[in-house]
Amino acid sequence: MSDLDKAIAQLRACRPIPEAQVRELCHKARELLVEEGNVVTVTAPVTICGDIHGQFHDLMELFRVGGDVPDTNYLFMGDFVDRGFYSLESFLLLLCLKVRYPDRMTLIRGNHESRQITTVYGFYDECLRKYGSANVWRYCCDVFDYLALGAIVLGASNTLSPGSGPSASGPTMTETRVDADETEIEVCNADGQVISTFRRQEQTSGRMRGGGGRSPARPTASNGIGSATDSSGANNGLTGAAPNKSGPPGSGASGSSGGSIGNPAGAVLCVHGGLSPLIDMVDKIRLLDRKQEVPHEGAMCDLLWSDPDEIDGWGLSPRGAGFLFGADIVKVFNHRNDLSLIARAHQLVMEGFKEMFDASIVTVWSAPNYCYRCGNVAALLELSEDDSGLGIFSRSNGDVGRSDGGQGGQQQQQQHQHGGQGGGGQGGGGGPQRGVLMENDLMAPRSGPARRYRVFQAAPQDSRGMPAKKPVADYFL
Amino acid sequence: MSAPAIPNLLSLRGGLGRAGGGRGRRGGGPPSASASASATAQHDATIQGTDDDAAISRLSAVEIGYLGDPFARLFVPGPVVRRLPIINRGTYTRTTAIDLLVDRFLAQTAGTTADDAGQEPTRQIVSLGAGTDTRALRLFSELSSSSSSSTTPIPKHRNIAYHEIDFPAICTRKLQTVRASLQLRSILSDPVPAAPASPPTSTSTTSPSTQEDGSSSPNPNPYPYSPSSSWHSRAAYPTSNNQLWCHALDLRALAHSSSTPTSPSKITLPGLSPTLPTLLISECCLCYLSPADARAVLAYFSSHISPPETPLGLVLYEPVRPDDAFGRMMVSNLAARRIRMPTLDVYRSPQDQERRLLGDFAHARQMTVDAIWDAEGWVPEEEKERVERLEGGLDELEEWKLLAGHYIVAWGWRGVGVDLDMGV
Repeated sequence: MSDLDKAIAQLRACRPIPEAQVRELCHKARELLVEEGNVVTVTAPVTICGDIHGQFHDLMELFRVGGDVPDTNYLFMGDFVDRGFYSLESFLLLLCLKVRYPDRMTLIRGNHESRQITTVYGFYDECLRKYGSANVWRYCCDVFDYLALGAIVLGASNTLSPGSGPSASGPTMTETRVDADETEIEVCNADGQVISTFRRQEQTSGRMRGGGGRSPARPTASNGIGSATDSSGANNGLTGAAPNKSGPPGSGASGSSGGSIGNPAGAVLCVHGGLSPLIDMVDKIRLLDRKQEVPHEGAMCDLLWSDPDEIDGWGLSPRGAGFLFGADIVKVFNHRNDLSLIARAHQLVMEGFKEMFDASIVTVWSAPNYCYRCGNVAALLELSEDDSGLGIFSRSNGDVGRSDGGQGGQQQQQQHQHGGQGGGGQGGGGGPQRGVLMENDLMAPRSGPARRYRVFQAAPQDSRGMPAKKPVADYFL
Repeated sequence: MSAPAIPNLLSLRGGLGRAGGGRGRRGGGPPSASASASATAQHDATIQGTDDDAAISRLSAVEIGYLGDPFARLFVPGPVVRRLPIINRGTYTRTTAIDLLVDRFLAQTAGTTADDAGQEPTRQIVSLGAGTDTRALRLFSELSSSSSSSTTPIPKHRNIAYHEIDFPAICTRKLQTVRASLQLRSILSDPVPAAPASPPTSTSTTSPSTQEDGSSSPNPNPYPYSPSSSWHSRAAYPTSNNQLWCHALDLRALAHSSSTPTSPSKITLPGLSPTLPTLLISECCLCYLSPADARAVLAYFSSHISPPETPLGLVLYEPVRPDDAFGRMMVSNLAARRIRMPTLDVYRSPQDQERRLLGDFAHARQMTVDAIWDAEGWVPEEEKERVERLEGGLDELEEWKLLAGHYIVAWGWRGVGVDLDMGV
């Protein structure tokens, strides 16, 4: 067993590793991360996770629900540290896994991966408490500076892979597999049982609704789904002619989505916070000098701090850093960058995930019962691999990341060859055909990839084999 | 892609739940009298502990610069614990909100006479379960804005009788703090026992010990009232006529007294006038009583302060909304700390609180703490900006909305000459 594997085993038991080992680990991690671009390219299948915040036991639950590393390809969207009691163990474990399985683990930076924030919100104090000095905190902060700012997921399928949860053989799964091809969104519980599914719409109606989707009369279009409980009853409210199982407004499967025709999915941008008024193209993110403390303003700050909101255009953020941005901003950005979806974290969502703006952006939150106090569930987002070979199309920002060993490039080639028929008659597959369609339907959002959300709850703290500090949640007493 | 090797921690939950249920059974079945008494004593100790929690939070907010309070340090024996920004902002907001309501009440009851030394107080504040609260000290030491031009400092507030009511142990501890602190001795005169100052208007005040001595009172009051541990003190500025009264009294004794108005165990608090404008404050206090006791405490003051034109107000700070996901977790987390808030079951929503107050008061208002932070008229914009800068902005906005949305300031008032509308 290598030292690294030993460290992983020790951290999995929630026991910190010695300071010298942390130093070595952080050094290796920096060597690895410095080679990554500001925007890492990741190929599906991938499991996308939001904030962790030092909730180590819940991170273990996440791995149980989402699959272990390296079997599952993970993308964590930052905020590994602060607030929870085990920021150190959580971050070091993720970092060990990154070093051990660099192609199966993508870590991008959150606003809490910062010297200033960690001194206020707990990680600094935790390091001091556990090591007696700030050295480990310094090593970790040096790694933070090298974390990528975003990721692009390529090759996500517009159909779901068969359910793969622990109870995948259950009757529920069999039932849904029948129409897996039409499923755009599937919500599973921690045991892999399907709680709800949302179908894509028929091609024609979908196209028409794509047009309708631009009309301003969509009062509930942005409510988002995300609640497994309200989903079944909430359909059809606004979409009289919608197919039977269309989703509630705001989901990509709803009458207002405009997507849904099953064309190969566009790319997915993953970033911790959101967009920046200084960034209109993904390529501009690549030009930033990221190897620094998170600045108080500017593009890098915005990417880590901004939030989508029900506004037009840009707004001031009540957080005092980053901006608020509206549906129009997201739609223009996604269109300009050939994105079908932005996945981001940063905001607590009680239901674990929340799709907004006709499913053009989703918030994924992976810290259940946040701060041991909020009572929320957590979620992770699975995007399946497009094994038709048609899923990736030529794109200006589709550079080939180091993690796929050039495979992405081959797929792009292949995609070019198939270009014309790319969509299998469903429209929007290959470049040229898509171009024509876009003229007719200029701002219709791209059909998103099929999305499986796995929703899970907080793990009990005092389980065997793990040190248990009974968390005391603060209230206003 | 599942990970069968990783144990399902949730599967252990059943066992944990049962274990917890066993612990929690105390309150369920008919317990033996001694078990019940010890459970009550345990709960009392826990509730007294929440005051330490509040004192630590207050000191954190003071040390970082949210609040100005030179007395906060005196009531925290240990080192300064830095609370998270979200807690500090909560401490700041509720303290500021209650201060504003108190200021409004004091401004409306100030009267016109200002210069006769030896005059008796003209209005009173009654802080229920005051604990280590420093509000009285802050009020007494606040100087008038015109003081700077004068050679002798002019107190801002005058003629206030500030009554604090808390468990005897807490009153005694506060007395020791006052005696030991030079800083406080410059604010307050030497504390003296409260009882002699009390005109014997009622036949007796009953404590458990006298009951056991064979008294034949038909309504023994089982809760401690210890006039001998009660004390009072005059504010040091001789012209201010401010007084501090500390009543060593379990509020349930008041409740008991209130529910049996004709009994000889009727309690009269020394120094408390039934005819003066009165503002009651319950900062996370009544919520720890049973709903019946909480109602009876309010009824005590409501009936004691008369005639009905006499201004009477109440400012209440309590949790609300136990029913949503956050609220359920809050109740369960507090239960794990053995903190129960029985009135939360009855007054679940902000509207419930408003309706509750309309029982004893002609007018009632309520706002959640997050609404107070957002609303105009409470925290001025420039002050918000100052507070936001203290810790580099509040990152946890969603959590703030959740947490602060589960705490409420509710207030009610009646009588002539007082209006606490606050533009709500």
